[in-house]
Amino acid sequence: MSDNEQSGPEPSVRSQKLTVAQIEVELEQYPAPVAERFRMASGTLSGRLAEETLQEWAATGLEIARKTVRSWEAASEFFDASPGVQRQLPSGQFLRWGRTGASLCSESPSLAVAFFKASPAAMLRLRPRYIDDWATVTRSLYRGTWKSSALAARLFESTPQLLETLSFDEFCSFGGFLEVLSRRSYDSAADSLTQGVALFPRLGSDSDHFIALARAVSESSWREIKDLFDSGSDSLVNLPSPQRVALLSLARRLNAMGASDPGALIRAGSKAVSGVPSESRERLLELTDRLASVHAAAAPEFLKSAPGVLERVTFAQLTEWHARGAQISQDNPEAAVAYFKLESASASETLDALSSSIELSRVRDILRMYCQALTGRPIEVSAAQQLADKNIGWFQGELPTTEGTTVYLPSVINRYLTKDENFFFYKVVSTHQVGHIEFGSFEFTFARPSGLFDDLRPDLPGAKKLAAAIESDAQLQQQMELGQSREAREALKHLKDAGAAEAASPEVPAEREFLTDMSRFFSLFPDNKLALDVFTVVESTRVDSLVMQSYRGIVEMYRRVQSTALENRPELDELPARESLVEFLIRWSLGQREGLVAPKEHVETARKVRRLLDRMTSPEATVEDAAEATVRIYSILANVRNEDVDEDEFESVDPDEPSEEGEDQSGGNEEVNRDDVIQQFLEGAQAQSGDEEQSDEGPDSEDGEDSAPAEENYSSPQDIDYRGEFKPELSQLLSQLQLGQGGEMGDEIEGMEPISQEQLEELMKNAPEMDQQEGEDGKEAPNTDELIENLMKELQKRDPQNQQFQQGPMQHVDEDGGPLEASEPNTYVYDEWDFRAGEYKPRWCLVHEKEMADGEPNFFRDTLADNSSLLARIRKQFELVVPEMYRKQKRLEDGEEQDLDAVLEAVIDMKIGITPDEKVYWRRNKTERSVSVAFLLDMSASTAEAIDEAKKPSDDWGAPDDPVEYMVWLRSRRAEGLRRSYKRIIDVEKEGIVLLVNALETLGDSYGIYGFSGYGRENVEYYVIKDLEEKFSDKVPRRIDRIAPLHATRMGPAIRHTTHKLSEVDAKSRFLFLISDGRPQDRGYSREGVEKEYAVHDTRQALIEARNAGITPFCLTVDKSGHDYLKTMMEDFSYEVLPDISQLPMRLPQLYRALTM
Amino acid sequence: MTTRHDYREIPVEEYVVDKEPFYISSSDEIEVFEAAYRQRVPVLLKGPTGTGKTRFVEYMAWRLGQSLKVQADGSSSDEGENRRSAGHLPLVTVACHEDLTASDLVGRYLLDSNGTRWIDGPLTRAVKAGGICYLDEVVEARKDTTVIIHPLTDHRRTLTIDKLGEVIEAADGFLLVVSYNPGYQNAMKDLKHSTRQRFVALEFDFPDEEREARIIAHESGVDEKNAELLARLGSKIRNLREHGLEEGASTRVLIYAGRLIKEGISPRRACQVGVTWGITDDSQIQRSIDEVVSSIFP
Repeated sequence: MSDNEQSGPEPSVRSQKLTVAQIEVELEQYPAPVAERFRMASGTLSGRLAEETLQEWAATGLEIARKTVRSWEAASEFFDASPGVQRQLPSGQFLRWGRTGASLCSESPSLAVAFFKASPAAMLRLRPRYIDDWATVTRSLYRGTWKSSALAARLFESTPQLLETLSFDEFCSFGGFLEVLSRRSYDSAADSLTQGVALFPRLGSDSDHFIALARAVSESSWREIKDLFDSGSDSLVNLPSPQRVALLSLARRLNAMGASDPGALIRAGSKAVSGVPSESRERLLELTDRLASVHAAAAPEFLKSAPGVLERVTFAQLTEWHARGAQISQDNPEAAVAYFKLESASASETLDALSSSIELSRVRDILRMYCQALTGRPIEVSAAQQLADKNIGWFQGELPTTEGTTVYLPSVINRYLTKDENFFFYKVVSTHQVGHIEFGSFEFTFARPSGLFDDLRPDLPGAKKLAAAIESDAQLQQQMELGQSREAREALKHLKDAGAAEAASPEVPAEREFLTDMSRFFSLFPDNKLALDVFTVVESTRVDSLVMQSYRGIVEMYRRVQSTALENRPELDELPARESLVEFLIRWSLGQREGLVAPKEHVETARKVRRLLDRMTSPEATVEDAAEATVRIYSILANVRNEDVDEDEFESVDPDEPSEEGEDQSGGNEEVNRDDVIQQFLEGAQAQSGDEEQSDEGPDSEDGEDSAPAEENYSSPQDIDYRGEFKPELSQLLSQLQLGQGGEMGDEIEGMEPISQEQLEELMKNAPEMDQQEGEDGKEAPNTDELIENLMKELQKRDPQNQQFQQGPMQHVDEDGGPLEASEPNTYVYDEWDFRAGEYKPRWCLVHEKEMADGEPNFFRDTLADNSSLLARIRKQFELVVPEMYRKQKRLEDGEEQDLDAVLEAVIDMKIGITPDEKVYWRRNKTERSVSVAFLLDMSASTAEAIDEAKKPSDDWGAPDDPVEYMVWLRSRRAEGLRRSYKRIIDVEKEGIVLLVNALETLGDSYGIYGFSGYGRENVEYYVIKDLEEKFSDKVPRRIDRIAPLHATRMGPAIRHTTHKLSEVDAKSRFLFLISDGRPQDRGYSREGVEKEYAVHDTRQALIEARNAGITPFCLTVDKSGHDYLKTMMEDFSYEVLPDISQLPMRLPQLYRALTM
Repeated sequence: MTTRHDYREIPVEEYVVDKEPFYISSSDEIEVFEAAYRQRVPVLLKGPTGTGKTRFVEYMAWRLGQSLKVQADGSSSDEGENRRSAGHLPLVTVACHEDLTASDLVGRYLLDSNGTRWIDGPLTRAVKAGGICYLDEVVEARKDTTVIIHPLTDHRRTLTIDKLGEVIEAADGFLLVVSYNPGYQNAMKDLKHSTRQRFVALEFDFPDEEREARIIAHESGVDEKNAELLARLGSKIRNLREHGLEEGASTRVLIYAGRLIKEGISPRRACQVGVTWGITDDSQIQRSIDEVVSSIFP
């Protein structure tokens, strides 16, 4: 109690006991609420408490009021809370409560206010004996500042709520956590309190584990607390309780082992665990746990990768994959992290071996070559999603398709149980798609006659009208040539419009130009959606049949894929009549022969269309034949009302039924009467134009008999998995540009102005392919404007005359900004390779070349002195090299010795009496050794590490992306570097260079030494220590001294710049010797900041460029985990991973010798 | 004691093509060659390996020999010991390599027990015998050979032998034919203009599928269906030239695969060992070609 802390205005009153009445009077001097509340409370309490207790209670109140100027508020709250509290507590404890409050008040009246306010509710949940502890725990947050008192007050306020879920012990540990955290940041603590109040009820009895974790995190990395709480409420709460606990204790253990980012772990863990079936959940966490005990950093990565891995393999296989990784982590912890991140080759290989699914990325090159072999064209293979992402008219990311130059395939196939079968599926799909290219689907030419049918196309109303338009166009042209004035031209135009409109039915503007022959063809049909569906079946049948005739080896698998496709087709007798007939054709095209049905009244129709379709299996069938068949089938089907048919009304269609009109009829017109078709198209067109006046929904009700009630809207059949999205019109448009051989229209286009926006809009508006989409997916129709814009870009890209558009800044996903300019002297810009996009980002990196500043020559001298014995050995080795370089040179006039062959010849010559050749000597001559080598040293920050210290995990990998954090990280690194008295990686690199320089000088090779580092693509620092052409001088040792760890490692531009330097040197053999300590990495040297592959691939590309420039690259790395990425990066280049870095100075000259001699 | 050999020893200049070699013309190359021969204009054959250049020369040697035979029969020649006049045209083939020097073509002195002996090189022999001298892959040979070739390819039709101090006027029947593959040698080894402009050039390329199928069927004895498929495979693989393969599959490897098939090896396997593995070491390309094979062959 705080009797001795009296600071009230009248210390004397304390000595004598005031009566309750007197106290009331005393209280009158405070603001009104105090006395008012006192009276109310005493009124309630007087009946419940003994006189003495009441008096003591009142005195406590007065004491509180007297404490400080503002403490009357506390007193008022005290009186207010008293009746409620008193109901829960025996009188002794009730008074004690008051005194606790009073003592709080002497610290901070606002604390006391909060305490009293919270008390009535808190007492409902709080055992009386904990009152003091409650106050103590909470008060510990208070440190005399405003923020601390606010925090403590808030904890008091929140206590009742907290205690609803937390036990008092848990409450105390939560308080303890807040206390620790509040030492770092009151704001953070206050946030945590709010979040805790909301979170704990949702976590229930698992809150204690969470609090324990939070407490641990608050001590190790308090900044992550907020994210931890967020993860708790967004992820953890969704987990069942047992796994929550397991996950939390896992997180705690990992935290204790130094792992960072618990929030991410909780999220990943929750996601992973909820992703697996309940029976495996425990097991998954167990696996993680086990891994955590081996290697802390790998465990979170495992959890993160688990859901992705489980998409490809079963849980049992995941366990195997885990076991393999765990094994790796025992030998090589660094590699294990990469393994579990799925970044290492061995991870993918193991996974691959376990899974039966096939990823496109693995077989892409094989399929690409396969497609190229089949077609003889530079076909590319890509994931279908990429086409959908381009948003140029294809929308289904998972269906295969082609646009005439690239075959798009699903990115993973997991349909069958074995890898072989899954691969075969890819093969079947590719063969079909590429079949469209090989067998000319997109080379449709309107005017080219069909071989199997009498051509109807030119006689259809739409075509006639068009012909008329073209004719008048020709007239116009003539007039123009005659030198008519502009007015005349205008007049003629009007004339022509009028004439054309008169000449034909009114529905299509006479002036319509077609971008492709395909568009022209589809424009003939009143219902081009039905036409497209029919054409798709017909053309696919033709391609399938040609494929199976040409590639007999694939037939078996092809049939299998077809029959799988059949299993997923809708039932014929559940569809309305017309759709049912279309479906009938599809099933027939997929090889179904038995069990086909058609509506009774349309059985004959079914037979007719089937016979037409069958003609596509002729080996001579062309795309024009397919078009003619489409015209015929369309004319038949358009007459079928799309009404619902009862199941009983279906009748089976016998597959073998002979055609009553005879198969032998030639000419191909036996199924339909030519004039009927033309007549029908004419009517259809008129009906449609009538419709269009009423509504825009023309194509769906081409019959014109709107009165019919039972007619269903015709909808297109569902896609067939291996045939995918077939868009002949767009494909023709895209491929004819690129290949420059799209039939007659293609030729025109080459000479024509670039395709205009308006033309594309026209195409989009009329293309059935666009139409089809909107109805199907239910998702909102794609924005046509955007689509057209994308298509324009795509077309420009493909236009060979328009190459500069090819590398726009459109691929810049991660780093903002466009190409850079080298404006200052000694700066150079280089492209960067984006391997996902498969293209260069133009002028992407800026290399700043600087001369290394001079340091002291000591390092050089000392190194030579320290390594005198090694140096002697190296020299000896290099001296041994010298004789190797001598070659016998024959046929010299003077030399060491006579050449036996030449002497023989000379003797023979003399014998027969002609003048012998005098050149009979040979000599060992120094053949001109013309070697130029550039050493490229990695001066990244990580080279600051000590060589004999185990490499630190985690943060050695990533320079933080945030510039502020980066500077902190950098400073800490530099500080570390300064403190070190032991050797760092960079020192060893330097030593190696010093020794080599010495040896190189004896050899006389031209060599350059460069260092690189940098931060971001704008700042690739490139230090010249010795330029290639530069002579060795004392400057070189001085500069070597200044080689020091700097920033990040953007290898690509550094290699490119070195390549540039080397290619300016005149030498027979040129080498680029890269010495590094880890994988390439830099800010923005990745996609979305995570995909380290990006950097690896750019580096690889740079190396390939070097090789193409006639330079032999070699990479020496001291990164023990280097095998993983070097396998990709240096594939078919030479490299070496030094197991022990201290060998570097010795190994470097050896390697040099092996490489250059 | 006389030993019977199952081989024949024939002096270089007496080698003649006895039996009609199998050859299907792709255009008018036979007439052109005949015309060139009648006018004694040297011929240059260009084209990738395995397109039938050598076979063509053999065929032409035989064919021209036949017409000589007719002439010989008619004019009842008096020099009976020469096989040429008996209706044959000698064919001397020299495969050129990078160490082939002029004296390898012209001849050299050899040491003998009692001094030295001059021996004619193949070119000299062909010049004397009046046959066709075919220098295969001529750009491979050393540069000094061109000096020898030049006088033989213009109106002079002479061969100068320095060591002997002789000039030989070519026999009437002599014709120089050279071949080279413009694709695979590097620019260093391109034929010099002064040389190439002494020849009429015939271009060879792979035959179309139908002709190739006939060739394969004939040469390997494989059935027609498989021959067709092999020809299709050939054309598909040739599609990969410039896309990863340096050279497409030559007709020869297809024929070999056909022979294996005839011996009972399964077509897929025969193509693998006969075609795929032969034309590339790149495992990725091998796999792609294997896929093409398995698509084509059931």
